Amino acid sequence: MTDIAIRTTGLSKSYSGTAALRNLDLTIDSGEIFGLLGHNGAGKTTTVNLLTTLLEPTAGSMQVVGVDTVADPNGVRRVIGYLPENVQFYDNLTTMENLRFFGRLSGLSQPDARIREVLDYLDFTGHDDQRVGSFSKGMRQRVGIAQAILHEPSVLFLDEPTSGLDPEGVRQLRDVIVALNRDLGMTIFMNTHLLSEVTKTCTSIGILRQGELAYQASLAATLEAFPGEDSLEEIYLNIRSAPDS
Amino acid sequence: MTTVLTMARQELVALRRERLPLVLLIVFVVMVSVSSLIGWLTNTTVSNVWQKTVEAGLTQAPNPFTDVSALYYARNTVIYLVLIGALMAIVVGVTSAMRDRKARTLDLVLSRPISVPAYLLGKLVGIGAWLAMILALVAVISWTSISVITGAALGPGESARLVAFYAVAWLLLQAFVTLGLLSGIYSARETTALLVPISIWSVVAFVLPQIGTSANPVSLLNPVPSVIVPGGAFDTLNTVLSPLSVTEEFKTASGLILGNPEVTGSLPLSLFVIVLAFAVGAIVLLATNRDRIRGALRD
Repeated sequence: MTDIAIRTTGLSKSYSGTAALRNLDLTIDSGEIFGLLGHNGAGKTTTVNLLTTLLEPTAGSMQVVGVDTVADPNGVRRVIGYLPENVQFYDNLTTMENLRFFGRLSGLSQPDARIREVLDYLDFTGHDDQRVGSFSKGMRQRVGIAQAILHEPSVLFLDEPTSGLDPEGVRQLRDVIVALNRDLGMTIFMNTHLLSEVTKTCTSIGILRQGELAYQASLAATLEAFPGEDSLEEIYLNIRSAPDS
Repeated sequence: MTTVLTMARQELVALRRERLPLVLLIVFVVMVSVSSLIGWLTNTTVSNVWQKTVEAGLTQAPNPFTDVSALYYARNTVIYLVLIGALMAIVVGVTSAMRDRKARTLDLVLSRPISVPAYLLGKLVGIGAWLAMILALVAVISWTSISVITGAALGPGESARLVAFYAVAWLLLQAFVTLGLLSGIYSARETTALLVPISIWSVVAFVLPQIGTSANPVSLLNPVPSVIVPGGAFDTLNTVLSPLSVTEEFKTASGLILGNPEVTGSLPLSLFVIVLAFAVGAIVLLATNRDRIRGALRD
């Protein structure tokens, strides 16, 4: 088992000649809760899509838990969980039917017991036989987290996990993320716009600017390096607006 | 293999819950169920007319239904399979291909350890199993209704021919399923995805077999059918194009299997065309790459 959960080297992605991500060198240790910040179009979702093997890079390489995403994409998929932004399910199927499908796809031959265990862990019981189409955004997010951790992945990717949630939902999700990291030792990689969530949840951060990594450090080191700034928001804005070196 | 079966199982669950395939399924089963009755009514009506004609001394010809196979009563099923069955297969294929894009679950599915060929093969296997169950049900209905109409249970030989007929029907419908799946994958909109294969089906079922016959300007203008000159341009055109109509080949194969004396042709050639249509569709389908599957969801 490597101590490095995610490593990217010179990772680039272009769409029809337009660069979305340029020379991303990123190293994230196992057990971290890493927050990737950036404005719209900075390349956050592209980064997650590359790391979750949904996209192939134009250049560069990346490993998740030591497994190369291009050489062995299925090997990577076995060790990751993924919660996309605004997660959706098959609305005419129940919670159990949806989770059974994703559980089996993740390699669980008899997923029912594990599904109940996970739903219980997420405090989402009593909805097994309800159709997902009737669920609120927060409830869908719970089911989304459940499908992402059914197979006990080493690394969990969350793309804007708090997007569209009410304050109560945001708090509950934050608690779940911290608990997954603390109880199960999962490395968590999350894209977010909410700087307040980064402060309360993450142990390290990275900032993307126009497809390039402008900053990466632990949260503690960041707060120490910018003593004059009152909040992470100011640090973020200063780094974002700094001229290219 | 496990992922293929997982996809196939999910396909069956989804098909059980979706409305449009269910409606088409009901129409199909009802039409096929009454086809035996229609065959029996045809037989009864013609036999009655023949009886009266004989009694009036107007003919001494034998009853046209004497010595006709009991499977004759299933011959209307062939038409329903080509019309409603093929449409149902196309709709199910398109619906299946677009399901994950419409539900926006495609990224979740593709982030799991499953290859694109396994993903698509699972869909094809699932729909194939669904069609097999439907055709098995229809075969039982046909067997029972024919046995009731003729007053005797179909023998082993006729039962085997009935099974063979539905096996060929399954192949034909699977060919249209692959067409629907491909259209669903390659089309950005659902309306286009439905329109393209239905247009292809129209050409295959109605245009190709008619080119060289109805396309003959004389036969179009003159209500009295003209005799096509053997070896002439229209005859040659018809000879070249009509084998391309997989639905016509299915009609030929079905007629020969069901023992319809009016049908002539080569059973191996007809079966080859049907298998080829399915095989080509399946190969193109399974060669689809990941970027194409993600299609409109591409960043």
